[in-house]
Amino acid sequence: MSKEIEEELIARRAKRDASFFDLYSIDQLSNDDINLIYDIAPVFKKHKTAKLSLNKGCSMVHTFFESSTRTLASFDLSAKNLSMDTTNVSSGNTDKKGESFLDTAETIDAYNPKVVSIRTAQSGVAEFLSRHIKASVINAGDGWHEHPTQALLDGMTMLSHFGGNSLKGKTVTIIGDILHSRVFGSLVRLLKKLEATVRVSGPQTMLPAYVENFGVSVHYNVEEALEGADVIYTLRVQGERGANTFVPTLREYSKMYGISRKRLDIANKNAILMHPGPVQRDIDVHSALVSVDPQSHILKQVENGMAVRKSVLWLLCQRYDGLEKEFARL
Amino acid sequence: MTNTLLIKNGHVIDPANGIDSVMDVYVADGKIENLGKNISKEADQTIDAKGLVVTPGLIDLQVHVREPGREDKETIETASMAALAGGITSIVAMPNTAPIADDQTVIEFVIKRAKEVNLVNVYPSGATTKGQHGKSLSEINEMKHSGAVAITDDGVDVQDENVLRRAMEYAKTCDILLMSHCETDTLTGKGVMHEGWVSTQLGLPGIPAASEDLAVQKNIILACMTGARLHLLHNSSIGAVDAIRTAKKNGHKNITAEVSVQHFSLTDEECFGYNTNAKMYPPLRSKRHVEAIIEGIKDGTIDAFTTDHAPHIEPDKLLPFQDAAFGSIGLETSFAVMNTYLVEAGHIDLSTGISKMTHEPAKIIRKDKGTLSVGADADIAIFDMNKEWVVSGKDGFSKSHNCIFDGKKLKGKAIHTIVDGTVKYSNGKITQ
Repeated sequence: MSKEIEEELIARRAKRDASFFDLYSIDQLSNDDINLIYDIAPVFKKHKTAKLSLNKGCSMVHTFFESSTRTLASFDLSAKNLSMDTTNVSSGNTDKKGESFLDTAETIDAYNPKVVSIRTAQSGVAEFLSRHIKASVINAGDGWHEHPTQALLDGMTMLSHFGGNSLKGKTVTIIGDILHSRVFGSLVRLLKKLEATVRVSGPQTMLPAYVENFGVSVHYNVEEALEGADVIYTLRVQGERGANTFVPTLREYSKMYGISRKRLDIANKNAILMHPGPVQRDIDVHSALVSVDPQSHILKQVENGMAVRKSVLWLLCQRYDGLEKEFARL
Repeated sequence: MTNTLLIKNGHVIDPANGIDSVMDVYVADGKIENLGKNISKEADQTIDAKGLVVTPGLIDLQVHVREPGREDKETIETASMAALAGGITSIVAMPNTAPIADDQTVIEFVIKRAKEVNLVNVYPSGATTKGQHGKSLSEINEMKHSGAVAITDDGVDVQDENVLRRAMEYAKTCDILLMSHCETDTLTGKGVMHEGWVSTQLGLPGIPAASEDLAVQKNIILACMTGARLHLLHNSSIGAVDAIRTAKKNGHKNITAEVSVQHFSLTDEECFGYNTNAKMYPPLRSKRHVEAIIEGIKDGTIDAFTTDHAPHIEPDKLLPFQDAAFGSIGLETSFAVMNTYLVEAGHIDLSTGISKMTHEPAKIIRKDKGTLSVGADADIAIFDMNKEWVVSGKDGFSKSHNCIFDGKKLKGKAIHTIVDGTVKYSNGKITQ
């Protein structure tokens, strides 16, 4: 059975390779890369947790300097489904001992993993380390910067709902704490590549400088932002990054920007509700809408995450062109 | 016995005296004895400066020498060597050493070390407040009498307006210059680079220009009120230039201002790729700020150019951008940066550029330096203006390699540097 699935995947891939050797930013992806990922991901999705031997012999180290539940579990299960050996270097231990990120990464690299996933509270660490280690680096979230596999799974969720391979003519409204959101950082880059119309809505205190330069429109009024929207994408107020001081109270925030049934109805009939998690029920989104409402795609996002991550892991570990990653030890 | 030096056929540019032509310079016993065409007098040493530019030795008002305390990053000796390689003959040493230069013992130590090293003139500055904590004043008068040319709380700035007011009043009493690094801590917050489109793309916390603007305004208001001599360090924002221009227009001659050369030459785009050498305060700003700085240079709002030479060892820079140290080295590159980005780019003439690196900064610290007047101290720099070179931070004299100009091509290089009539640097080597 698994052999047939592998053959189906190989046929779908059609000897194509990714243009990237690490994945730290959506900026790295060409249109061909995006099409390739979205060609193979639905095949992985169809076969759920089938044990495949595509990446057998390759190991993966999860290097999470910041806590995570869903991303870590998703990466780990994805890797294991592909027969990869995995281990965790979880938060904090090394930096408490005074070791630099670079020294930690070089040590991990000496275990010869094929892939290293990295999550940090600081922006740019994955990109920096990718230049100096042999393993392919996947950015699992860096500070306020990016979280590319999250955007890829979100894009997949939107595309599979609307059909086709672009979001041209579709309006995506992103609501909430844009400033502190690495999810936004990757999502907005991907949505522009997929030609979506993007609106952002939140208080000015939670919008980064010149956010409109991403090619988005800014709306302080959430109702205005929801008018005719096809996707409502809400973000969490990131209390752990001090975001609580950016709004007077979560109560007032919820009144101004929380997604209620009434607000959801302002959007298009066929609109979907998305959230990268963790959801703060009744603050970001009205509780009743989170998991049971047919318009909510929040759990579909999680499921698509596995498919997208397997696709990326397969592309990073196995290449037809035989090219090797270039890096410079320091 | 007299010690003499003859510099032949150089293109002498001495802005203070309006000299800009080919001539000879004769030096005797550490002083300029004569300037003129075809001086035929015998000398112990002769330098053929044909095709080269001869200027007063450069003066840099802002150098972090790191000694005492962080000799792993830099010492008075290595900073002096780097200065010589950049044509710089006098430096003001910043007080953020360990211990902090907030009393006369550190000031005296720096002067003593500089004398032992005997390469360039080192003028220490003292901390405005004890421990640079911004709370109680240092013994400013004692430090002045020990040789401090200015007081400054340097990279931390005095945040409390009332302390700043008292510091200015006291500085005025002691007739000493107060230098301000203008930053509003509450607005800077955890910011690590200029707040703008680049910081948004990099997902890095920004420092709004308003952090600098507000502090510049505050300093100017208090300097106008107290009459203290105020020098504004490393200005970088539109708002800073505007405020200084207005103050000068209103006749406040007690206020002077500098720009560090990286702020008229580079933008925040240097931060792309999380280049930690581009992390500094004030941060490299966006293009429109750089353009405003250049306007301020052209219309005379800006009096002096400095390096803000800030050496850091590799482990302090090989870090996530948010954790890396602030600052870049620059002693060996400042003249070439000025020439490349201002003169060659057509913004100002060479003489104006040199004046902002010689007699203008000398005036600010009230030192009789920065000219080739007959009888002046023979601090001289000789540059090859046609020399193009690619900067390599690790190949310099500084103990640290964190140079934001690393890899950039510059035009103009010091060939000989002379301090007190002695050739201390020649063709890439320290000669004494």
